[in-house]
Amino acid sequence: MSMTKKAAAASALLALSLSIAHADDGVPSNTVRVGLYYVHYHTSADDISGPYVPTGLNLSVNDVETLYLAYVRRLSEHFDLELAAGYPPVTKTEGRGPATLGSVPYNGQVISTARWFAPTLLLNYKFFDESHAWRPYFGIGVNYANFYDRRSTAAGNAASGGPTSISLPVSVGPAATVGMSYHLQGRWSLYASYSATVVKSKLTADTAGVMRTSDINFGPRALVVAAGYAF
Amino acid sequence: MSRIRGPFYSAIAVVLLTACGSNSTTSEVATSTARGTLIQNPPLRIASLDAAALTAQLNASASGQQLLELAQAPTCGVDFYYIQYWTVGGANETATATGALMVPTGSAAQCSGPRPIVLYAHGTTTLKTYNIADITNPSNTEGALVAAMFAAQGYIVVAPNYAGYDTSSLSYHPFLNGAQQSKDMIDALTAARTALPQTLSAATTDSGKLFITGYSEGGYVAMATHKALQAANQTVTASAPMSGPYALAAFFDAVFYGDVNIGSTEFTPLITTSYQKAYGNIYSATTDIYEPTYATGIDTLLPSTTPIDTLFEDGKLPETALFSSTTPVTGNATLDAALAVPKNPIFALGFGASNLITNDYRLSYVLDAVAHPDGAAPVPMPGVPLAASPQNTLRIAAKLNDMRTWVPHVPVLLCGGDMDPTVYFTLNAGTMQAFWAAAGLPAEVVTVLDVNAAPTAQDPFAAVKVGFQETEAQIVSSQGQVAAVESYHTTVAPFCTAAARGFFSQF
Repeated sequence: MSMTKKAAAASALLALSLSIAHADDGVPSNTVRVGLYYVHYHTSADDISGPYVPTGLNLSVNDVETLYLAYVRRLSEHFDLELAAGYPPVTKTEGRGPATLGSVPYNGQVISTARWFAPTLLLNYKFFDESHAWRPYFGIGVNYANFYDRRSTAAGNAASGGPTSISLPVSVGPAATVGMSYHLQGRWSLYASYSATVVKSKLTADTAGVMRTSDINFGPRALVVAAGYAF
Repeated sequence: MSRIRGPFYSAIAVVLLTACGSNSTTSEVATSTARGTLIQNPPLRIASLDAAALTAQLNASASGQQLLELAQAPTCGVDFYYIQYWTVGGANETATATGALMVPTGSAAQCSGPRPIVLYAHGTTTLKTYNIADITNPSNTEGALVAAMFAAQGYIVVAPNYAGYDTSSLSYHPFLNGAQQSKDMIDALTAARTALPQTLSAATTDSGKLFITGYSEGGYVAMATHKALQAANQTVTASAPMSGPYALAAFFDAVFYGDVNIGSTEFTPLITTSYQKAYGNIYSATTDIYEPTYATGIDTLLPSTTPIDTLFEDGKLPETALFSSTTPVTGNATLDAALAVPKNPIFALGFGASNLITNDYRLSYVLDAVAHPDGAAPVPMPGVPLAASPQNTLRIAAKLNDMRTWVPHVPVLLCGGDMDPTVYFTLNAGTMQAFWAAAGLPAEVVTVLDVNAAPTAQDPFAAVKVGFQETEAQIVSSQGQVAAVESYHTTVAPFCTAAARGFFSQF
């Protein structure tokens, strides 16, 4: 899906959700959730290609945990609009392949880091009515991932052959979630969800003008546990 | 809409506020295009091999194993850097070029701290993509040779790829243009000296000693560079040009008379393109020199991204036939005999039906050589002087680039093999020795080493001579005489390089 189409899809999702919204029926319309993200990456990357790169050089991304923040807008008894984001975690990319490049350690070395600003907009459908304490839900939406504070580590510079700049273009991709909410009492609820998101980008490492690239599908899978306050 | 604006944007603001910080950066790119400017600082390190890894890499091939025997086991590791720098072309036009900086590393005393530099000039290649810095390329045997022989023994090596090769912005190669190629070498050296303190191997520094060497074309370039640095009052500790065409004008004359060297059909287009670009008067059209079969596009043929064997197969060049086997007939019996197909079977390989150079051009060249003879060929004269006033533009260019124009102030080793069918050793090294002797240079300044000569008593190069001769004998017995002749020029290279290292180790 092109970036333009993805943006259009996100706009349509927002418009649809707003059209579902109806008049105040006494139930709080806004919820703020705070919790923890446990993100596991099912990384799938092409072997790194470019000048002076041996075959079989690949990479993977380490799992992260970070703060989960979300704003949820109640649209109706069964529909929510959720804007979820984690405190941008530092993700670490490790080399995968030969133990050494020449005499430089590679496999298992953290070669680069980046922070992810990756909010996800989800339209959630909640089962049962609002009298139920337990309410399973699922949602679909769009993820936007911006990678910043991108750094090649000392080990990465050694493997690449010198100071290296890294580019990772923005990713926009579909997201889906399944979850369960539990109404504690009053305005407080607990939440647990499991989300899958398509995050693809093209890593380009520039070392002294020499470009090495790899197309990466990060494949993040996020487990969230959170508490929410409605108002 | 207005109801959700506050908390909605507040949530975004929370995450956006965290989205700050900077990205890591790569090398700085120079804005100057002045000669010797390092373009990317620090440069790219292509590979880093410690002594064990370098040994393992060399041991992985038969040629590497032979090299290890000759060079001895690496004492140091080597970091291989790819340098890009500004230089000039044959017409003094601004151009980029690339090359290698090999830095010894490791804990042994001779692998860090102040170390001497070996400025190395590689031999002719027709492959435009040639990159001596790329030690990851198994076909980069010359890179492996200088790495094992010099860098792994504690010498910093600087080796340009030459303008016109690799990613150079120059569209041709200024082949055997002494003025340009010496500038290219000096510019690579300047850029490498700029790079060295910024590299990942900065524990190794320049001691100030400078040795210059190179093989074949690089032997010529090494001598031209020594000459240029000496003229500029720059430090040269010693040099060791190897198997180079120093007496260029005499060498050209010998070839046109009929002593055609192996590789001549590759060298000739490189030469004419180089001198045409530099002087603009070698030909009006390529058909002035070349047979119509080959003339179209020959001025841009070499160096090429296409392997030379493919160029031969595609009919872009004849493999060996520089001249027609139907030689010119002038009515002058002596001249006709001189132009006839030689009896020497190696020289005779340079004659054929599908030849490169026209009979008319060959004859005009030789007539000029007869009228304005060179002092070294075909008949050596006292002092081996250059031709006084040649009129043929190729002979004028050869005279301009001939090395019989200087006398070294510091020790020089001229190494080669006397049976070399590609670059004639006696005609080149012997002529330089005679020229310098006639100029009054003390004999001890110049050492001429023929690796094919019998070792003498107390011969410091006895091991090199014995090693070369045993290797030649093995090639003859295993592959035959023809293969031995065809590979002779290449076989000499590692032995002369070992001799050069031994020579440099005295200083």
